[in-house]
Amino acid sequence: MLAISIAAAMPAAAQEKPSSLGLGIFTFTSGPAAAYGMPGKNAADLMIDEINAKGGIGGVPVSAIYVDEAQGAQGVIAEYRRLAGEARNQVMVAALSSANCLALAPIAEQLEVPTVGWNCDTHQLLLDGKSKYMFRPSGNTVPEFVAYAAYLLERKPDVKTVAIINPDYAFGHDAATIFKAALKALKPDIEVVAELYPKLGSPNYQTEISRLTTAHPDVVFSNLWGADLENFVRQATPRGLFSSSQVVLALGETVLQRVPLPDGVIVGVLGDGWWMSPDAKANVETTKFAAAYKQRFGEYPVFPSIKMANALIYVKAAYQAAMQKNGGKWPTRAEIAEAMKGSSVATLTGTTKTRADNDGLVDQIVGVTMKTEGRSFPLIGEMARYKGDSLMPAPGQDPIAWVSTLKPEFAKTLSKPGSYK
Amino acid sequence: MSNTIIPLLLDSLASAALIFFAAVGLTLVFSVLRVLNVAHGSLYSIGGYAAASACLFIASKQLNPYLSFVALLFSAVFVAAIFGPLIERSLIRWTYGKSEAVQILITFGIFLILEDLQRMIFGVQSFYEDTPTRLLGTSKIGGVVYLNYQILLIGLALLVVIGLRLLINHTRLGRLITAVVTDREMAQAIGIDTNRIFILAFSLGVFLAALGGALATPTSGIAPGLGADTMVLAFAVAAIGGLGQIEGAAVASLIVGVARVLAIYLAPSLDAVAPYAAMLAVLLIRPYGLFGSVTARRI
Repeated sequence: MLAISIAAAMPAAAQEKPSSLGLGIFTFTSGPAAAYGMPGKNAADLMIDEINAKGGIGGVPVSAIYVDEAQGAQGVIAEYRRLAGEARNQVMVAALSSANCLALAPIAEQLEVPTVGWNCDTHQLLLDGKSKYMFRPSGNTVPEFVAYAAYLLERKPDVKTVAIINPDYAFGHDAATIFKAALKALKPDIEVVAELYPKLGSPNYQTEISRLTTAHPDVVFSNLWGADLENFVRQATPRGLFSSSQVVLALGETVLQRVPLPDGVIVGVLGDGWWMSPDAKANVETTKFAAAYKQRFGEYPVFPSIKMANALIYVKAAYQAAMQKNGGKWPTRAEIAEAMKGSSVATLTGTTKTRADNDGLVDQIVGVTMKTEGRSFPLIGEMARYKGDSLMPAPGQDPIAWVSTLKPEFAKTLSKPGSYK
Repeated sequence: MSNTIIPLLLDSLASAALIFFAAVGLTLVFSVLRVLNVAHGSLYSIGGYAAASACLFIASKQLNPYLSFVALLFSAVFVAAIFGPLIERSLIRWTYGKSEAVQILITFGIFLILEDLQRMIFGVQSFYEDTPTRLLGTSKIGGVVYLNYQILLIGLALLVVIGLRLLINHTRLGRLITAVVTDREMAQAIGIDTNRIFILAFSLGVFLAALGGALATPTSGIAPGLGADTMVLAFAVAAIGGLGQIEGAAVASLIVGVARVLAIYLAPSLDAVAPYAAMLAVLLIRPYGLFGSVTARRI
């Protein structure tokens, strides 16, 4: 332990430019979650190549060391400690799984390694407001799932009954808690008629589909993702679920290119990472990135890809800011963390602002699937772009309690479906 | 509740059919070879990958889509013909007569190799091919739209139970297998080629595993991790039914299917534990499973 601590402290003293900058990047490269994790890794490969083609960061080429999160929290922690012990690995981009994010956050503080949560959505991550080294520039579950409730109630104001099918772990349960709390606050007469939590990685949802059908809900809400979402959509479509209920798929954008989703499904991207949004299309870097991604990996980037790319842009911006501040010297880990705090970074799809509690303010995009000429898969239309700060409680405020205080009038102050063009 | 009884029963049968396909090969192999094959789940998922690949090939070449039904069957035959003799002769044979610990270590090693092979060949994305379900269409039963393919699966599971019983009781191969199961040394003494019986029985087990994976493909996704899930469920079914008992596997599949469906309908938070709660309940009353016993051996 002492040796690791000493090694971890070394970069604070070493400010010579290294021959290369190592980034520890944590994502799922195996198991069912890889369907979500690999688009993140692909984006990191592409973005790092682009950064290096432009001379690296401060003239130093970047190299990624990937850690597979499928090995479980203990393995991920051990890998994090091992990477942190090497001076050249100054920043970690970790992680995809909220459970791993929660496990790594205290270690980031202990070892004083700037750690960027590229997909740490859980609202529990930065609750204490004391983090110095853990950053989340990619949004969290509170604005994400309040946005779905607001969008749904604007689009379908007569909704009476809702059924939920979410994966059986923290992300699924947290999302259901926030979504239910938001619905109850914004339209108190809504009844939740079924709540299902199938095991993460389930290949077969036939019984769940029957159960949802027998509940006759106006709305089916789900934050299934990866292979689970793909399987659910493929199995539910022929059984008529999409025609008997309004379906909301919180991570629906990730399967648009792979599964024939019908028109009118409410889908989102958990943040602003839609490569076809008006802001994204207006950004030359984004269109170049999407085209290069398509050419290299055969599909357009999905929002986990954009989240990863934005996380690396965030890291690069922190280096540039830190070096500008210290007179062009190679920054220490502490200086990089300091540069991240309070930063405002232009990403591929918008702007991420880092608050004093290291939480990011990111806009939320929600829309519905619709066929578009010239594309073989449905795109997202009728979009609303919710301002990040409008759906976030103040630092230190209990998020669930804050959601419960929302009033129906609050929804009237928000963007309307179709207003983001 | 009254308006959900028919969907509940139908879902239980459909769920039991899929579980039975996953478990019956495992129980057959244990019955004949006395080997607990931990790699069984991987062979199930390989059957799924093979079937999905064959169906996707048929679709890409715009061949007659009804060939996809043939593809489901032949992909299982193909997997059995390749992996059955290969695994039995190369590794499983070294476990005969060894302790359960050695058997589990070796078959777990096979499981790991097969899982890595699948990842190398098929990648990490989910595979899905639903041509057979689309061809058969849907029916509305009890207010719920079902895939006709789900009804077909229930019938196929029954056919497999009957087919295996006929094979064992009314064919020469079945009698030879029974002789080997009853007394391996005596069977060898009267001139039965037990090596051949073992290859055939193991390959039949691989065929049933691969058939389960292949038949599941049109209604389920195939992705890394399926093998491990299948293996655990198959072991639970084998334990409930009694190790090596084919009828036991059928009844146990029904119990697990009913338990899981009841949980989803009535107590969703118990969904994941329902099969194992059922296993615990049965084993507390009958520690050797419903059809198992300490001494007698039947298949």
